[in-house]
Amino acid sequence: MRAAGSIALAALTALAACGGDDGGGGVDLTQPPVVDVTQPPRQRLSEYNLFAWDPEAGYTWNPIGDRVVPYDLNTELFSDYALKQRAIYVPPGSSIAYDPELSFEFPVGSVVIKNFAFPGDLRTPTEDVTLIETRLLVRYADGWRPLPYVWDDTQADAVLTPAGDVRSISFVDDLGTQRTSNYLVPQRNQCETCHARKPSDTADPEMVAIGTKARHLNRTYDYGGAAGAMNQLERMSALGLLTGAPAPATAPMAYDFRAIATGGVQAIPAADVEPAARTYLDINCAHCHDPSAVQGITSQLFLGHDNTDLFRLGYCKRPGSAGAGTGGFEFDIVPGNPDISILYFRMHTEEVGAMMPLLGRSLTHTRGSELVHAWIAAMPPDDCSGGQ
Amino acid sequence: MTNVRFASLSASVSIALSCAGLAACGGEDEFPTNSCADVTTTCVQISGGDVAGLQNAANSLEANTTIILGAGTFAMTNSLTIRTDGIHLLGQGIDRTTLDYGATTAQVNGVDVQGDDFLVQDLTVLDAPKDGIRVEDSDGVVFRRIRAAWTAVSDPTNGAYGIYPVKSKRVLVEDSRAENASDAGLYVGQCEHVIVRNNEVRGNVAGLEIENTQYADVYGNLAEDNTAGIVVFDLPGNPIVGRDVKLRDNDIRFNNHINFAPGGTVAVIPVGLGTFAMASRRVEITGNTYEGNNTADIALVSGLIIESDETRWELATATLNGTWEDLALQPGATAGTITNFRSENIVVAGNSHTGSGQQPDTLDPNMFGVLLVLVYGTNDIDSILYDTIGETSFHSTDAGMNTNDNHICVGGNAGGTFASMNVEVQSVENIVPFFRPAAPFAPFDCTTLNGGAVVAPTL
Repeated sequence: MRAAGSIALAALTALAACGGDDGGGGVDLTQPPVVDVTQPPRQRLSEYNLFAWDPEAGYTWNPIGDRVVPYDLNTELFSDYALKQRAIYVPPGSSIAYDPELSFEFPVGSVVIKNFAFPGDLRTPTEDVTLIETRLLVRYADGWRPLPYVWDDTQADAVLTPAGDVRSISFVDDLGTQRTSNYLVPQRNQCETCHARKPSDTADPEMVAIGTKARHLNRTYDYGGAAGAMNQLERMSALGLLTGAPAPATAPMAYDFRAIATGGVQAIPAADVEPAARTYLDINCAHCHDPSAVQGITSQLFLGHDNTDLFRLGYCKRPGSAGAGTGGFEFDIVPGNPDISILYFRMHTEEVGAMMPLLGRSLTHTRGSELVHAWIAAMPPDDCSGGQ
Repeated sequence: MTNVRFASLSASVSIALSCAGLAACGGEDEFPTNSCADVTTTCVQISGGDVAGLQNAANSLEANTTIILGAGTFAMTNSLTIRTDGIHLLGQGIDRTTLDYGATTAQVNGVDVQGDDFLVQDLTVLDAPKDGIRVEDSDGVVFRRIRAAWTAVSDPTNGAYGIYPVKSKRVLVEDSRAENASDAGLYVGQCEHVIVRNNEVRGNVAGLEIENTQYADVYGNLAEDNTAGIVVFDLPGNPIVGRDVKLRDNDIRFNNHINFAPGGTVAVIPVGLGTFAMASRRVEITGNTYEGNNTADIALVSGLIIESDETRWELATATLNGTWEDLALQPGATAGTITNFRSENIVVAGNSHTGSGQQPDTLDPNMFGVLLVLVYGTNDIDSILYDTIGETSFHSTDAGMNTNDNHICVGGNAGGTFASMNVEVQSVENIVPFFRPAAPFAPFDCTTLNGGAVVAPTL
């Protein structure tokens, strides 16, 4: 059996009583965070007291006890160019258990925080920033619960919004092009589209965090102040939030996308294209395209960083029920020929019904798309005719 | 803007709450067919058109809740997503309650379900960006008196699948309609134990499709005006090997719709095909009425037609789901694998055939129709065609020189005509005459499956 829905209708009554007009923003950073997993989810994000947000000053993380720690990923999931800021909260007296491969095991009461914001122009990412939504994954005793909060127009607070939202957002992208996103704030049930993993083939899916894996976290972050710039795994370990982590040099490390973000795929050595592309597919696709994910099982296309089965990585593989997603092409990957490879087509197109990922993208990620194009182009050519 | 949105959310929530469990809510006009008075489980009534109320309810469900939608059109902006067991979703009838996705920009299915014991009944899902109603990885699924449709005819940008149970068990689809899907209108994929009965499929590329599915009974359906009517096949690389599929007592007529698929396996289907079975085994096609399908009524073909590389049909036995051990599947070249490209152990019997095969599609990319025209000239195409891939011997005139290694049985088909062809050497440049025996079509004159009749599904 699946877990019952976790936001009681009664909780919505409280929402109904809320206006949209009080300034909210009752965050008090002289007090510790408030995460009570014996209570229903809070209606207002400020009630957790995890961080303060100011469009001019940015994020201020709750400093009490150093239990809220921001982090970045080596390569991140693309979400229509939204700027993301992530953090974890781990309650006092407990810690995260390190794992070299899977998402870390968090203690009950933990929160993974992910903010989605847009500046007017991505080339000046700290100016004219609007925070759209904050997604919390809160670790209850029976597992993670996804809680979507949508920020109000005054940027003072965010309100629990299980039904999600769709917004048209216009901005200038990192290459100076005007873009307009049909930005989807997922409804609560859509969180499972990405954040679900089947522990075994016959088990029901359970909620998981995606980015909090050793290979994605193993990088430097500038914490400012006394900590300065240091490795994220080291920082979390030093604060007692993470136990069991090896030295960063011996921990797995995914490819760091920053050089590509700045200069494009031509800015990295040819030998780096494959690991960069595999990392990109890992973080953007493998939450579904994995033997442990419902849709991955259906598609039999596995894009995780550790998949060595070239056929199920897409080499000369015909898609299952791809429908319009094929773009008229026959194979997921035609080695050496990205322009007739369905995998490239689906991650590049903006055609509704054909785009991948299914959710969270309405625009082409130019840099990511170029990377995968270069990866397929550099493969030893195979026309997929079966060696004839 | 923000205040307006919150205000409408508040209003809808209060409606949803006040309706919970109250039969009288909404009045008789709005809930004439189904209402919470009819059910004993937790129940929520949503007024017709109250999209926010519906989305708030759907994202806040306890298990075993019934959602009843009032009469009216819901102008959806996002998928109706269900991730809870035991949810029943009922409207007031195909013509009374519509979930309309015409304005949805997000790339989503109309109704998107993962949850056991799901029921959807008495409503229409219109113009979904992707699939109409997709139910995945669920055990115990009922579609009843629903319609999944797209407004535009022959539009390749229509969604792929209308009614779409996939990778699920114990599935019943009945008294429903699927129209204008750009792939398959009613598609059952990777399922085990399925009944599909008394449905109508029109204007789709594939009308009704049974793919990589075990134990399916498909009867009493009408497939009309699709590119192909009712089809059964396996695709390569899928861990469920299709078996025990019965197509019986269906009406499969005038399936001559232009093939408007934007891609995928169905894009190569010739226009005017009643039924094909491909890469399939333990299939019975009996008692159906075929009429006016311009290319042919029934084609029995190997999976090598769409994927000629046998190694791509290899499946590691350790990864297979469902029941396959008794099928004596052909081993792959790689140790520990089987293959499922063969079509074998198929009975075609007792169907009626009228007016088909008179105008084969000469535009299909595999040139199957061109081949038929070259062979038949102005004569009607035979009712039942077999590609003989995998047979050790073929001869155009001498029955004794034809083998039936694949156990293809057309012996009980007094009403139809039959031809087999040596597809492996056929080409437009090199026409080999077909083998066109008289009834009972020896050596294809067997009438029963090896290993006993098709096993009925258990729901």
